Amino acid sequence: MSNSPIADLSYRHYDGPLSGVGKRWWSIAKMTMQVATKRRGFWGWSLFSAWWFFILLAVFWFADNVLGNLGGFQQGANAFLQQIKWKDQFIHGFSYSQMILLVVNLMIGVGSIANDNRANALLVYLSKPCSRFDYVFGKWLGVFILISLVSFVPMMVFWLYGYMSFQPYGFWKDAPWLFLRLALVSVCSGALHASLGLAVSSLFNQGRLAGATYAGIYFMSYIFTQVMNGFNSASTFQRTPTPAIVRQLFYGSIDGMQIGLAKIIVGTDGSPLFPGMGPNGGRRGGRPEIDMGQFIIGAPNAAWIVPVFVLLVVGGFAVAYSRIKAVEVVG
Amino acid sequence: MNPNVALVSINNLTVRYGAFTALDDFSCQIEEGCTGLLGPNGAGKTTLLKTLLGFITPTAGGGNVLGLDLYNGNKEIRQKIGLMPEQDCHIPGLSAVGFVAYAGELAGMPADQALRRAHEVLEYCGLGEARYRNVETYSTGMKQRIKLAQAMIHGPKLLLLDEPTNGLDPKGREEMLDLIKDISHNKGVNVLISSHLLPDIERVCDRVVVVLRGKLVSQGTIRDLKKIEGQPLDVDLRETNEAFVTKIKANGGYAAPTTYTTVRVQIAGTREHAMNTILQTAKDSRAQVRGVKLAERSLEEAFLSAVQA
Repeated sequence: MSNSPIADLSYRHYDGPLSGVGKRWWSIAKMTMQVATKRRGFWGWSLFSAWWFFILLAVFWFADNVLGNLGGFQQGANAFLQQIKWKDQFIHGFSYSQMILLVVNLMIGVGSIANDNRANALLVYLSKPCSRFDYVFGKWLGVFILISLVSFVPMMVFWLYGYMSFQPYGFWKDAPWLFLRLALVSVCSGALHASLGLAVSSLFNQGRLAGATYAGIYFMSYIFTQVMNGFNSASTFQRTPTPAIVRQLFYGSIDGMQIGLAKIIVGTDGSPLFPGMGPNGGRRGGRPEIDMGQFIIGAPNAAWIVPVFVLLVVGGFAVAYSRIKAVEVVG
Repeated sequence: MNPNVALVSINNLTVRYGAFTALDDFSCQIEEGCTGLLGPNGAGKTTLLKTLLGFITPTAGGGNVLGLDLYNGNKEIRQKIGLMPEQDCHIPGLSAVGFVAYAGELAGMPADQALRRAHEVLEYCGLGEARYRNVETYSTGMKQRIKLAQAMIHGPKLLLLDEPTNGLDPKGREEMLDLIKDISHNKGVNVLISSHLLPDIERVCDRVVVVLRGKLVSQGTIRDLKKIEGQPLDVDLRETNEAFVTKIKANGGYAAPTTYTTVRVQIAGTREHAMNTILQTAKDSRAQVRGVKLAERSLEEAFLSAVQA
């Protein structure tokens, strides 16, 4: 009797089923997702990405269920809820999750090809009936699905809460079928992060270097757009019109592009966080108070942002694809 | 196993990297069993493996692997082949059993069967105790074994082993060679080994293919390759005997001591005539013959001779 837990140690031929040689990308996508979801950090950061939606839930629940039931506050609560631009709340929540989506992508996507390069994993993938396309598309799909879900699930939870609770305050009327638009927003976010992350990842042999580079690109472009935002704020304070190019360049970063696309898809220019932040007819320094809405930069022009988005998604994928060389597999 | 059935058939294959010709009008047959692929660095062995796996499109010529055309059956060929690469390789973040099962899924196995067989294959490769450890924590010997496990998870008809004993200590090397010999000789899996280590090839292979500068230099069974032209005999004497050597030469034969007590003898005519002459000469010269066997070269001599020719 063998000491091994498996008594029969002899090699046997595998005579079970083998699927056709197509669709290997799905196996790779599944494994990419399995490896990612085994990390506790992934769940922690994913939950954290919904932080603004948690705040919104708490605020609206409080306004609806606590203030709405207190004598004397009922009218105020109703007025508050009536003024809410519901679809803009999703834009706010999505905007505030951007930095955390970056972290999630750093964890699950940006290192994936680089770490495979370090471990020579391509030797394993490409010696099996997997093509370069299967490999890159499988990786892309795994990252895309997870980031899209991390982005979509909090929005969907908030949408369901709003749909069930705030119909009298124009939740559906304000934006019918909004959840479909939100799904498209999430899909765009997932596609952009997946393509850019994998493109950067394919250039390195160390996941950390790839992560640092991606984060560097993200923050450099973010700083650039914040400079544009600064120009816009300065113009608003000086009550001079902001040049149109500045208002477009505000969306020239990884997160800016996603927020810009989200505004186009949802069909809004954005608004201040809560009602009451707009002008109330007061004067400050002898001049009329500035409408906070003027600080908000409206939706970008779809004529440039959509082609640039498509270019980045397709281009990122193409860069990753071109870096995978089957002929380096042996020797 | 039928050693006359060609698993791989290469016909006038030419592979070029730009102006450099890596394989030049190369033709060979790799038959069932265990075959060694020999050749100095840059001979074209790696290019041949790459071509068999379908990573390189030949400039001219063609062939088939397991009945599948080199040009049209890349993925199908890789589904029937297992590759144990020379370099360390694994999928980051997975345990050994997860890694091998995933390799099975990539080859087309259903997930549940891949997992079950991963346990079996790891056990067979001697990694049963360590199968839940992350592969990154494995020693060099264990990494070699897991590369073999992932190559054979899906029950390939042909295993390509690229320097399978690289980096192994003597005990690990012995175990790896035992494993390869068992797979190829007892389990009916065909093996093609690319190696620089002639003793390894000699120990496990039945046949060899010698490649030099992109051309086939020699191929056949190791026994045939080691044969010496004229088929001389090695006569093992009890002690050195000059008279025996002199008398053989006087009888028109060739005799030269190869070791202290062994004399290589070549006598024209039939084998029976040669044996009679040897025994008569030994009697005349009062030499005690302890054994006579067909002389053969070492594989290293045969390889060098083929390469230098």
